[in-house]
Amino acid sequence: MIVAKEIRKFYGNGENRQEVLKGIDLTVSDREFVVILGASGSGKSTLLNILSGLERADSGSILYDETDITGFSDSELTKFRKKQVGFIFQQYYLLPHLTVEKNVRMGADLAGNANFAEVIEAVGLSGKSKNYPCELSGGEQQRVAIARALAKDPKVLFCDEPTGALDEVTGRQILDYLSKVQKNSGITVIMVTHNQNIADMADTVVKLNSGRVVEVRKNDKRKTAYEIGW
Amino acid sequence: MVIGFKDALKFIGISVVVVCAAFVCTLFLNYDLDIRGLTNIPDEAIPLYKAHLSMGKAIAGISGCGLALTSVVLLVFYLKNYIDAHGKELGILKAMGYSRFSVARRFWIFGLSVLSGALIGFGVAYLYMPTFYRVQNADGILPKIAVGFHFELLLCLVVLPTLVFAGLAVLYAFYKLKAPVLNLLRESQENTIKARREKEGPFLKGLRLATLKSKKLLVFLIAFSAFCFSSMVQMSLSMPDLASETFAWMILMIGLILAFMTLLMSLSSVVKGNAKTIAMMRIFGYGYGVCSDRILGAYRPFAYVGFAVGTVYQFILLKLMLGLFFSDVNVPAYTFDWKALLIALFAFVVMYEFILFLYAQKIKKLSLKSVMGE
Ligand SMILES: Nc1ncnc2c1ncn2[C@@H]1O[C@H](COP(=O)(O)OP(=O)(O)OP(=O)(O)O)[C@@H](O)[C@H]1O
Ligand SMILES: [Mg+2]
Repeated sequence: MIVAKEIRKFYGNGENRQEVLKGIDLTVSDREFVVILGASGSGKSTLLNILSGLERADSGSILYDETDITGFSDSELTKFRKKQVGFIFQQYYLLPHLTVEKNVRMGADLAGNANFAEVIEAVGLSGKSKNYPCELSGGEQQRVAIARALAKDPKVLFCDEPTGALDEVTGRQILDYLSKVQKNSGITVIMVTHNQNIADMADTVVKLNSGRVVEVRKNDKRKTAYEIGW
Repeated sequence: MVIGFKDALKFIGISVVVVCAAFVCTLFLNYDLDIRGLTNIPDEAIPLYKAHLSMGKAIAGISGCGLALTSVVLLVFYLKNYIDAHGKELGILKAMGYSRFSVARRFWIFGLSVLSGALIGFGVAYLYMPTFYRVQNADGILPKIAVGFHFELLLCLVVLPTLVFAGLAVLYAFYKLKAPVLNLLRESQENTIKARREKEGPFLKGLRLATLKSKKLLVFLIAFSAFCFSSMVQMSLSMPDLASETFAWMILMIGLILAFMTLLMSLSSVVKGNAKTIAMMRIFGYGYGVCSDRILGAYRPFAYVGFAVGTVYQFILLKLMLGLFFSDVNVPAYTFDWKALLIALFAFVVMYEFILFLYAQKIKKLSLKSVMGE
């Protein structure tokens, strides 16, 4: 379980000082699929980065099963990320000089996972495992990024607009795959998006508005990636 | 994109090397031209006079050529980096319909880094010249030599190199801009695709190889910097016995400047070029130590190879020079200087590892978010 308490984050200083997160409280249970919704600039990415230990909050605490990561040193945070979390970003951020296979192994090796070939196959890219990122389409690159994140067996997967750069068909494929993995392997997924429709796939929807949680909604029934609107 | 003076500033590494080159060449060639005009040389001073004549040319030739080549390599390196880093802007210009030449033309500005370096080196050489002449003739064997100004040196050592480098920069940019717009826009690298023989193996091993392969010039530069350090420091340490102390100092300074400039530049470029990779690894939970070891450490063996080559090179060079130019002057026989090797090696290890350590700290300070935000 992840519990965030009173998270505050400021950017800038002097006159430009701006409170981006204004005391966020949030609870995410294990194996939950959470979607964070909000307009551009509402602080979604910032919240995600803080929850995942990429960035530090200015105040508040984040508990992973009773362990408060806000007091962690840099090396403790690194260790924490290594063990617990995976990331998927809108811009993929693959390593351009390495093949698909090596990119996936970047995640797999961390967890001592020898089955990286299976993960590549699962995202449907076995035929391209020797290709370089620049030889892949956007959707394929995002699938590599997903494989890379899943290959490290994370407990929590953080996704920042994973379908933001994709068309409808590819976007649905990616979401379908993510949601299946989440169900089958029982990881927690926290996904940021501004696409309201995607919220219907989640267990819990958290709405953010200028740095505040304005609504938390539980869905009784999750829709699949092919049932939602786009 | 308008390439401005600020961009030319980034080429300061070239300026520094050019300062050295212009300084050494101006000094020795000017000396050469001035003593050539001497007429009243006493008979007993003729061997020394001849030795000075050929030595002036040899030193100007060897160090001048070496330094000039270095600056060309650096120029290409900088330009390649610059074009890689600004590929997007260049691609957009090209996509909008700017002709290749109209974009490449603006690269002339990088000739300014050569101009400034050459002017400084030239000027400093003239400031130092009176002292140099006095030291050269300290024992008063040759008649008094007056410092003369030679306009042709200004032409050959300042004006010409500036024009050549400006032209080279434009030509190189013109050549690089041949790439299709999409290749400029994308993060694709030709050599990434060329290095297609990526083997099976763990990520970290692959990373080390890919880091090295993605910028082969860096491997060369880092080896070269160790080469400069090793050869010049050892040469200067063995020199006081063989030639004058001034030379020893001069060679030491040039060696250190060259070695440090190229090393710092290369390592900065390593860190900058791999910032995204490092950030991504850090996000995934790889520690600082692993990142800097795999990425900075990948170059270490090449540095030591460069050092070894430099040792051999300086030995052969000194042997040859002494044999050729000083055969008829009394100098002690030259044998390999083990003490110099040990001192140079020790200094090298300490400095190289210290600089690596500093860059590892730099990696530590890379902010994950700022790197990803680009
Ligand atoms: N490093 C930073 N320095 C200063 N301000 C920042 C920084 N990062 C984010 N901000 C500001 O914080 C606010 C929230 O940014 P954030 O990236 O979290 O928004 P977001 O909800 O993810 O938006 P989007 O949907 O456009 O990605 C914005 O107003 C942004 O300008
Ligand atoms: Mg965002």
